[in-house]
Amino acid sequence: MADEQVSLTSLVLIVVLGGLVIRYLFFPSSAAGPEAYRGRDSAASSRAREAAVERIQQMFPQLDRRAILWELQRSGGNMAATTERILSGRMETPPVTFQPPPPPRSTTPSSTSQTAKAPLRPAEPDLITRYKLQDKINYDSGSSSSVAGQESAVPGTKTKAWSSNRDERQTAFQRRRDEMILAARRKMEAKIAAEKAAASGKE
Amino acid sequence: MAQTTAHRRLLGEYKALSTNPPEGITAGPVSEDDMFVWEALIQGPEGTPFEGGIFPAELKFPRDYPLAPPKMTFLGEIFHPNVYTNGVVCISILHPPGDDPNQYEHASERWSPIQSVEKILISVMSMLAEPNDESPANIEAAKMWRENRADYEQRVRDGVRRMLGL
Repeated sequence: MADEQVSLTSLVLIVVLGGLVIRYLFFPSSAAGPEAYRGRDSAASSRAREAAVERIQQMFPQLDRRAILWELQRSGGNMAATTERILSGRMETPPVTFQPPPPPRSTTPSSTSQTAKAPLRPAEPDLITRYKLQDKINYDSGSSSSVAGQESAVPGTKTKAWSSNRDERQTAFQRRRDEMILAARRKMEAKIAAEKAAASGKE
Repeated sequence: MAQTTAHRRLLGEYKALSTNPPEGITAGPVSEDDMFVWEALIQGPEGTPFEGGIFPAELKFPRDYPLAPPKMTFLGEIFHPNVYTNGVVCISILHPPGDDPNQYEHASERWSPIQSVEKILISVMSMLAEPNDESPANIEAAKMWRENRADYEQRVRDGVRRMLGL
C-alpha cells in the first residue's frame, strides 16, 4: 500500500515536471518575449528569421525581403503581428540606414517553390554512363539478344515474371531497364546510320 | 501503421508494373531496402520529337503515400515546357487536391489515392507529347515551343541522342 502511494506521488511529479519541460522547450517565446528571440545564438535566430521571411514572402510575394525584415524587426520577430500590419496597410518603408543581413546561401529546401527555383544541376551523364552499360553496347551490337539470352537462361524467368525472391526481382528489374536503354540505342544507331546513308546517297 | 500501408501499396504497384508493364515504361524501387525511392524509364512517345528517347526519372514517395503524391524529377537532360531545368516535373496529377498553385486544375486531374505510379507515368508520357501551355516550368522551352516549333523539336531531338550516348 505504501509502495503504491509513493509511486503515485512520483508519477504526479513526473507529469508536472514533464509538462514544464515541454513548455520550456516548445513555447519559449511566450514566456520570454522578443528579447529572448533576439538573444538566442545567432545561427538559430537567423534560421528562424529566414523561415519567417520565407513564409511571409509566400503570403505576400509582392513584398521585398528588406521590407519584410524591417517589419519583422519592428515587431520583435513576431510573425502574426507582422502579417497583421501588412494586411492592414500599416507597413513602414525601411530607413536607408537599415541594412538587413544577406539571405543565406542555398539552405536546405523547405518548400516546393524553393526546389523549383533551384539552380541548374551540372550536366547529367548519358544513360550509358549512368547505368554503366559501356561493356554491353560493344558486345551487344552484333546479336541483339546476346545479353538477354545469357542472363535469362533459366526457362520461365521471362522478363515479366514476378519472383518471390527480392534479389531476383531486383535483377529482373535492372535487366528490363538495361534492355530498354540498349534497345533504344540500337534503334537510334540504326536510324542515324540510315540518315547518313540517305545523305551520302543524295550527293 | 501508416508506413506499412505505404510500403504494402508500393510493393503492390511494383508487382503490377513488373508483371504487366505499360508500353514504354519501366519503373521500380532503386533498391527494395527503401521502397520510397523509385526510378523510372519513360520512352519518348512516337510521332513526337521525343521519339526514340529514353528518359530516366526519380520518384520520391512521402511516408503517407498514397495520401500524398510522390515527387518526380527527371534525372537526365530534358527540354520541355513543363519540366523545370532542375528536372522537377510540373503536372497536375502530382499536385495534391488541396494545393493548386495555379488555380486552374480540376480536382479530378490532381493527385488522389486512386491514382497510381502507372497513371503518373502515363500522364507524364502524354505530357511529353502535348505540353501544357498554361503552366510553363521551363520558360525558355515554353517560349520556343510556342514561337519556334522547329528549333524546339531539333533541340529535343539532339537531347534524345545525347542521352543515348550517341
